[in-house]
Amino acid sequence: MANSNLPRRIIKETQRLLSEPAPGISASPSEDNMRYFNVMILGPTQSPYEGGVFKLELFLPEEYPMAAPKVRFLTKIYHPNIDKLGRICLDILKDKWSPALQIRTVLLSIQALLSAPNPDDPLSENIAKHWKTNEAEAVETAKEWTRLYASGA
Amino acid sequence: MGQSSSNWRRNDYHRQNPSFPYSSPPPGPNQSATSSSHLPPPPSLPPPAQPTPAPLPRSNYSTPYPMPSPPNPSTYYYHQSSPWTCRPPYPQHYGPGRSGGWWMPPPPPSPIHSPGMAGQPPALPPPPLPPPPFVEQTKKVKNDVNVHKDSIRLVPDEQNPDHHLVSFTFDAMVDGSVTIYYFAKEGANASISSIYVDIYTPKGITFLKGPGQTFIQPSGYGIDLGFFVLDELSKPLEGDIFPLVIYAKSCRPSPSKDVQGIQSSSPAHAQITQAVIEKSDDGNFKVKVVKQILWVEGERYELQEIFGLSPVEAEINGGDHDDLEKECVICLSEPRDTTVLPCRHMCMCGECAKALRLQSNKCPICRQPVEQLMEIKVNTADP
Repeated sequence: MANSNLPRRIIKETQRLLSEPAPGISASPSEDNMRYFNVMILGPTQSPYEGGVFKLELFLPEEYPMAAPKVRFLTKIYHPNIDKLGRICLDILKDKWSPALQIRTVLLSIQALLSAPNPDDPLSENIAKHWKTNEAEAVETAKEWTRLYASGA
Repeated sequence: MGQSSSNWRRNDYHRQNPSFPYSSPPPGPNQSATSSSHLPPPPSLPPPAQPTPAPLPRSNYSTPYPMPSPPNPSTYYYHQSSPWTCRPPYPQHYGPGRSGGWWMPPPPPSPIHSPGMAGQPPALPPPPLPPPPFVEQTKKVKNDVNVHKDSIRLVPDEQNPDHHLVSFTFDAMVDGSVTIYYFAKEGANASISSIYVDIYTPKGITFLKGPGQTFIQPSGYGIDLGFFVLDELSKPLEGDIFPLVIYAKSCRPSPSKDVQGIQSSSPAHAQITQAVIEKSDDGNFKVKVVKQILWVEGERYELQEIFGLSPVEAEINGGDHDDLEKECVICLSEPRDTTVLPCRHMCMCGECAKALRLQSNKCPICRQPVEQLMEIKVNTADP
């Protein structure tokens, strides 16, 4: 659709994402909408998500890069900062967005969020509570969910 | 458009975007006059944002300029492609009447305000609209004499044990003189006064013009630093008194009377380097420059570094991505030529900078509020 007048910034970012993908992250634009990306993030090692393959969708709104990309987990994940709809609580996707950030840096931040869940700024109250009251058990649940939903099969 | 402006004034002094390289220009001493902007050391993030423009203990900013050959007497116009791109000290920028004073509501109407922003619901407290995209063009001023701030050393005076001599490298486009002061403050019109007149009498030492010169105080001109308490040496004293001040005065030939030479009673032309003296781990004295000031035509400028101005060395992205360091962080296409003030992040092209101002008030790099944009054409050679 709007692919014909895609800003050069988006074209450049896409080219660089494809030619030099960040480790553990892949992002490729949809064929019919170059502003829509299919994203895969590998669960970081030494996190409860290790071994998981997490699918996300990323959309660049019309205002991008003046407005943040919209990103959402498609794979179910047990994480205090991600809700059951896959929405992510991450400051750079909201008020801390800067046009100097890019798709790559956003995805790296999300990958880092998997390594460092932050139950003090929760999106899923229940999971956050679980995390704070019994972290070991919460981590076990996260591992379980990773096996169940993010095995890549 | 229709971009929400509710967050546009949010200040965040804490986070820094880690993914952009900054250049922090000059390297150590270098014999070339062009050194200060071409060979940056490993890039570093800018210092923590400061709400007020404070002197940064870093290098001056200078635009890269082609200057392989030393100036010769027939090329006095050399200054027109001078490396120094300066602006007057801050207070002048905050004065009223400058482009309408954009902190005052209501903001001046701009012909290019987006329609989405014009129609704010009246019930809400009206968020201040971004100011018009005012871009200041840089004015270039000539810096006749430039002391390389990273080259300043204190070396022992062999003939006077315990005494130290000041040494540094500098470039001079005209003849002039250097005077070293200890515990001195700057006064009006580039005057310097020393507070310990009894123990040390500053003497001016003349030099001839030429780039990449080394200055060293003659033996006997030095001072016994052991006389002072280390605490006094290592920080500016109250009243902006600096332990070490290097006063490099240029004797500008009058423009109309080149041949007749020196004019001595003209407006001040000098570079003042204010520094503190620390003791390094090996017991030697070490000079740390706090501020460099430039007086040109009786106007005072403070030299400050711009982050992201010169090409960054290959370390961050592996060398084959030169363009990554020079491209505008917003369009990723055009070269950067616009600096955000007061944080001094050179990160955008002019077009994107203007577009940004319509939607946001934050520097893309550090999120500090943008007060002004300054365009610096680094590669356009002046006639």
